[in-house]
Order: sequence, then C-alpha cells, then structure tokens
Amino acid sequence: MVDKSRIIETLHSAMKDAPGDQVELVYDGEILNITHIAESEIQQNITRADASIVARVVLDGKIGVASTNKLDVDSVRACIADAADISKIAEPDESFTSLPNSPAAPEVNGFRHSTAEATPSDRANAVWMINKAAAMHNMTTAGAYRTIINQVAVTNSLGTEQYFEGTKAEFSLTVSAEDGRSGYAIAFDRDIANINPGELAEISIDKAVRSENPVDIDSGQYTVILEPAALGQLLLFLAFIGFGSGTFVQHRSFMAGSIGEQITSDLITVRDDIYNPRMQGMPFDYEGVIKKKVDLIVDGIAKGVVSDSGDARKMGTESTGHAHIATKSFTPYPKHVVMEPGDKSVKDMIGSIPRGIYITHFWYVNYLNPMRTMVTGLTRDGTFFIEEGKVTKPIVNMRMNQSILEALTNCRMLSNERRLYPQFSVVMLVPYAKIDNFQLDREGA
Amino acid sequence: MNLSKLGQLAVDVARKQGASYADFRFEEIRNENIEVSDGKPGQIDRNSSAGFCVRVLADGAWGFAANAVIGESEVRQAAQTAVAIAKTSARINRKKVHLADVPTIKDKYSTPFDKDPFKIPLTEKIEYLLSLDAMMRKNESLNNSGAFMSFTRTNKLFISSLGSEIEQTLLQSGAGASCGVIRGHRDRTERSYPSSSGQYKTIGYELVDELKFEENLPRIADEAVMLSLAKECPSGEFDIVLSSDLLSLQIHETIGHPLELDRVFGSERNFSGTSFAIPVQLGELKYGSDLINVVADTSYRGGLATWGYDDEGVKARPFKLIENGILVNYLSNRESAYRIGKLPTGAANADGWSNPPIVRITNVLLEPGESSFDDLISGIDDGIYFDTVESWSIGDDRSTFQLGSEVGWEIKGGKLGEMIKRPVYSGNTVYFWNSCDAVGDKSQWIIWGTPNCGKGQPAQTAQTAQGCSPSRFRRVRVGVEHG
Repeated sequence: MVDKSRIIETLHSAMKDAPGDQVELVYDGEILNITHIAESEIQQNITRADASIVARVVLDGKIGVASTNKLDVDSVRACIADAADISKIAEPDESFTSLPNSPAAPEVNGFRHSTAEATPSDRANAVWMINKAAAMHNMTTAGAYRTIINQVAVTNSLGTEQYFEGTKAEFSLTVSAEDGRSGYAIAFDRDIANINPGELAEISIDKAVRSENPVDIDSGQYTVILEPAALGQLLLFLAFIGFGSGTFVQHRSFMAGSIGEQITSDLITVRDDIYNPRMQGMPFDYEGVIKKKVDLIVDGIAKGVVSDSGDARKMGTESTGHAHIATKSFTPYPKHVVMEPGDKSVKDMIGSIPRGIYITHFWYVNYLNPMRTMVTGLTRDGTFFIEEGKVTKPIVNMRMNQSILEALTNCRMLSNERRLYPQFSVVMLVPYAKIDNFQLDREGA
Repeated sequence: MNLSKLGQLAVDVARKQGASYADFRFEEIRNENIEVSDGKPGQIDRNSSAGFCVRVLADGAWGFAANAVIGESEVRQAAQTAVAIAKTSARINRKKVHLADVPTIKDKYSTPFDKDPFKIPLTEKIEYLLSLDAMMRKNESLNNSGAFMSFTRTNKLFISSLGSEIEQTLLQSGAGASCGVIRGHRDRTERSYPSSSGQYKTIGYELVDELKFEENLPRIADEAVMLSLAKECPSGEFDIVLSSDLLSLQIHETIGHPLELDRVFGSERNFSGTSFAIPVQLGELKYGSDLINVVADTSYRGGLATWGYDDEGVKARPFKLIENGILVNYLSNRESAYRIGKLPTGAANADGWSNPPIVRITNVLLEPGESSFDDLISGIDDGIYFDTVESWSIGDDRSTFQLGSEVGWEIKGGKLGEMIKRPVYSGNTVYFWNSCDAVGDKSQWIIWGTPNCGKGQPAQTAQTAQGCSPSRFRRVRVGVEHG
C-alpha cells in the first residue's frame, strides 16, 4: 500500500499553482491478489499493484480530463497541464456550475487487516481443501479466489478532501463432473475470515451431484424460485439499464416517467445503501460527494435514481454521490444494491409450488430491449424441477426471455434469508424470490 | 538502468530463484477518447498508463507479478514474488505446465499507418465529430445523436529467458456514430454506423476517411425514424441473410471463442464458459458447410488483433482453423498448443502490462465466397435480412446462441421488403454453420474490430477482429416466444 500521507501530499503539491479556475485530483489505487483455478489446478496466481491519478480541470466552464499512473509530483503536474490543454478547446458545459465543495465523509471501516495480509499460501490451502472435497465425488474445480486493497483519495481546489481505504475478499467456485453437470457458489466479504471455502465446496458439489441426468422440459411460463445469484443478475441489469441518472435524464431509462408509479409487486423494495453493515464501502464518490442512501423502488413504487453532480443539476436535485471516475464514460449506477428481505423460509417458498423450476444462476444475460427491461440469458450450474412442493429432479438449462419488471411484478414471496452477491463492480444483498409466469424456453431447439 | 537491462534483470533474478522460464513485459499505453452528443462536445480525455510484469514458470506452475512503479528494486522484487507465488501453486498442482518450443526472436515491429491520429489537432477531431452529429440532426425526428473517436498507441518491450527481445509499437483507431428515436413511454429505437460499436482497426486516422460517414449517416438517421414505426419481429423458422457486421459477431461468439484452446481445456469454466469443440474432434468435426473456410491471421494488415508478435513472442502468421467446414486447428498459446502437440497459433494476448497473456480471439477471418448481395437475397422466398448487432447471449459451451440486430427487413419473393424492429434469431452452433449455403463475395468482405472482448479472471479486455461477407443460412429459428 502507498502511505495515505504520501498520496495526499502528492495531490496537494501537484495542485499548487495549477492552471484553470478549478482543479480536481483523484487517486484510485488497487492491489489485486488472485488465484485462478481450472481443472483443479492453480492455473494463474497473480499479484499486481496499480494506481491512476485523474485530473479534471475547469476553465471558463469548460472541462478537460487526463490521467496518468505515475504518482510523482511532476507527472501529476504534467497530467493537470494536459487536462488544462483539453479544457481550453472544449465547449462550455452549460449544465456545469462548479466542482463540489463537500464536507468530510463519515468514517466507514471497510478495511480488514486479515484480508490485506492474506497470502498466496492461504489461498492455495483453500484450493487444496475444495479440490479434496470435489475429488471425493470425481469432480473438478474451477474458480477465482481474490483479495483486493483499494485506496481512493479525492481532492479539489475548493477544499474537498476525502480518503478511503478498504478491502474485499471474493471466492467464486464452480464444481463440475465429466458429463458437464455443475454447481456454483460465491462469497464476498470485506473480511476474508468470513469466506468459508468448505461451505462453498459443499454447496457447489451438492448442486452438481443433484444435476445428474437432467431432463428436458417444454418451453413455457413457470413459477420459479430464483436463488440470490439469479435474482442478483436481474437486479444488476436494472441497475445498469435504469437506476442511474444518465439514462434517466436522456429518457432512456424505464424509470423515466415512472417515478411515483407502481412498477413492481409491493413486496419489492430496493435501495442503494453503502451504509448497510454488510456493505461498508467507500462513503463518497469520485467527485468527493458523500454517498446518500437512495430509495430506488419502495413497496413496488419507483422512487428515484442515483446521480452525480452534473446529472443532478439537470434534474434539479442534489447529487446522491454516485459519480464515476472522470475518465470513465459510464453514467452513474448503484454499486451497493440492497433488496429488503421477505418473511418466508426458502423451504416454505419451495413448499408452496405445485409445479415449478428452481434456478441457481443465470449465464450470459444480455439486453433484448432495455427500455422494456427485456433480457435474455441461460440458466446454469443447477436448474431443478419442483413438483408438489419439493425439488425433484434436474432439468436441462433453459433460456430466459423475460422482462425484469414483469418478473418483479409477478414476485409472490421473498425469503427472510439474504446473501451478498458480487458481480462486476456491483455488490448486491439479495433474498431468494418466488416469481410466477416466468418465461423459459428450450435452448437450441 | 534502461528498460532492456531491467527486463534482463527480471529474467536473471527469476532464473536464479529457480524459474525454468521467465519473461518480462513493459507496456506504455496512451489513449485518447473524444465523444460528441446531441450537438455538443461530450467527454474528452487522454489517459496514459505504464508498468511492467514478470511471468515465471517454477516447479511447473505459473507465477505473475506486476507493478506500475518501474525501478531496479521493484523489478527484483516482482521477479522474486512471481517465483515464490509459482512455487506455492506448484505445491497444490498435480500436473506440471509444459510449453511448446518457439524460436528466439530479436526484432522490432510497428503498425503501418498513413496519418498519426495523435498529430491531428484535437479541435479538428471535435469539429469533424460535431459535423457528423449535425448531419444526423438534419432529421428533426431524432431524439438523440452522437459520434466518437478513440485512439490507442502501445509501446511494448518483451524479453524472455529464451533470449528473445521484441519491441513493438501498436496503433489502434476507432470511430462510430449513432442516433435514436423515443416514440413513447419505454419505446426507443436506435441505429448506429458502421456497427453498434463503431469500427476499429490497427491503422491511423485514415480510418475516418475510409468509413465514409458523409455517405451513410443521413440514411442511418432516416432508418432510425423508420425503425421506430417498424413492425415487430415474427416468430418461426426462416431462411436468413446476416449483414457482415452481425456475421462478424456470430464468428466471434461461435467460432472464435469455442476455438480458444485454454477455454477448451476448462480455463473459463468458472466465468465465461467452456467449449463443445473438444480436441478429439480435430480433423473430424464438420463445423460448417463446405463453404466455411476460416483462418486466424495476426499478420493481416489493419485487423484489430494485428501485431508482429504475440505476448509470448510468437511471430504473427496465418493458420487455418476450419477448412471446407472441417475443424483443423485452434487459437492457442504455448501452454495449450503443447497439450495437443501442435505449434502455438500466436494467440497469447494480455490486457496491458498488469495482466498475464491468455488465449484470445485474434483476427478470425471467414474467407469470401462467390455470391453477390442480390444473389443472397434472391435465393430466399420468405425470409429475413438482419443488419447491425444489437443483442447476443451464448450457451455455456458455445453450442447454442441467440443473437439480435438493430434492424431487419423481410425478404419476400427474393426481394427486400418491409422493415422489422429488433429481429432475433437463435440456434445450435454446428447446425447453424452447416446451414450456410451462400457466402458473399470479396467485394462485400469487411474486417470488423471488436474493441471490448471480455475473458479471464481477473477480467481482461481484448481487441479482436473478424472478417466476413454477408452470408445466407437456411431454416433458422427467428423471434422469441415471449415479450
């Protein structure tokens, strides 16, 4: 890790006498350690350290952005000069008024020494354990066990200064047999001590064992149980498609024109909540604005979207603290999605279904029609038939062609149990869901 | 100490620590992105990143360490760390990694180009993009429009314990435009040019002239408006023709990815899936009809995956993957090629200095056939022409797929008919490629750059290319049963 004092001093020194009316400097550093497993072997074992410094310069309302990954003061000054050059030839951004002047963000303890100090040997021991468990069933393992240390600092010439350091540990595991059947499990936590490789092996092996000799079933609409990873995949696409201000202000989001309207079952409440005790992420965004807890859908009613300061001005609201780093052309989206739980046990949810399908996970989900939240994708790593309230037999993977909002409108039960599901840059806290009339088609028929 | 000496130091330290093989790669990447939207300049940014990595094989296992800070002590430490990590992995692994032999290379390579995009003034680029935006905006029914350019220059130095030392300077250029219409609540259509992700090549600023935006954007704007009023995609079994850009994605997803040999052996089992095309089928699998001839060629001028050498120092050259419909080879690196007893096909590609090379799609080229576009269409009584990628979702082992396009046209009695909104088709990979009964001729052949192909854990983004002409496929399932 780079000393906090060195990061802050470098940014301050570089900003002194910088060109432009306003200047923002962001340090975004990461140390990644990852053990990649395939064929029950450690296929790659990686450690890497990188950091980028992004300069945003404002001159007469015009904005320029440049970045470097060199932390010395001269390189950062050169980066500021590059951003200033760009700002000189940019057109004024009419919606821009000023960089934010934010107070210090509340302290969030997202750093765990256990995670930061985990070694390749620790990860190798976990691989040995899961391999041993899988081998007892003549199965092989594939997965990725990673730890990450993040350091982010945001400073600007108006006096904003934020700093965060945090850790993440994530283990995703697929266990498979020679005939192709497989099981999947994933765990995420700030503290690696809470990652239990033995439990992941047990869950994924159980799924794979129960997937022997799957049967084909007809295309149609089914009542389904979605495990948190499967429901999380759908929430992820809602987050990308419509829970952010960028698509909202362009009227390209399903949320546009829907605020205040019932868009799902009243069982559904979804927020972006960095302050949830299971999340503990960075409490400010890449403009230094303190992150707010944002209601997205409450009791099925569309409530709002996350925003950065630019979009917030266009919407006539305040930024919710969800700006991306300025070099990214992504518009804001929620990265800490929390779905409220229900009051049912998973067993009771399954027990209430006379004929349905139990889905572990979706694979290769992609848009069909973003405005209508239509997506497609395949079930994967454990799909089972439910008959008379019991999971009875494995079925061949099927293709989902489904509107997500329609699925959430048909949500009949949510579990009292939730799991953390990380996917790309988003972490979600998600229950199991029972959904009626979910469209599944035979694939490749 | 200069870079060459630092690289040699990394290799020497790794060997002294017990590595049987080591390589050092330094990369310095400079990138410029310019966007305009709705008549205004949007994001303009310039980024640079530099760093090095040391990759070692010790006790038969891989170790890898990378750092943005480049100095003698950092290089020594990275080499030592990589060896220590490899030895830890070796403690668990039952199988040892072996590498196919490659010759020692000392060489330099630079992307050939006519106009250096980094020497074109930024103002000129912005003004040009604004002119493209205005060209589309002449159609007053549009709700949004935008255009972009993107340029990347990468300087690389590769040094290996085999004695190889290779310097490369690679240049990539990209550009594209799109526009859309919002017809009502949750009803939006979009057209893009020349494809939904633009076009990318390893050439210079001449790409912008080559794309002929002025000739095409007024048509694209008109089509966006027409598309908002077009009818929905029918469902059923139809004969279809795929545009070159959509067929490029079909090649990428159902030929390129399934033939990545590390994937075939299970490297992506936990992330981006496996492959149905297993090595026992080599020389046997009738992957496609006799018209299907596919070559992987990293030496093809202008392809987005065109270079002098891959990231293991393997020289660029063409390899046949599918010959007269039969699977004959894979995309491979040194490790996977050894496992099938073949030469590596030079497909080891890393996403920057901070990632190890893995097997990637390179330039995968479907050789042209003899059919004109009129021939392709006139051979269909009741079918659909699909144009411009919009949606794709592929089966876990790549044996099945569902793809969709921005726009389609009915084909009735051998002629293009009414426009169709967002048509979708799906099928079984081998059945689909065997249903191809006509491949477009050379005049329609285009090499398409894909700038953002994802694979690997940690996730890596690669630049790939696929070359093809529009082609015809028989009895394909069209539409989805719901929605």
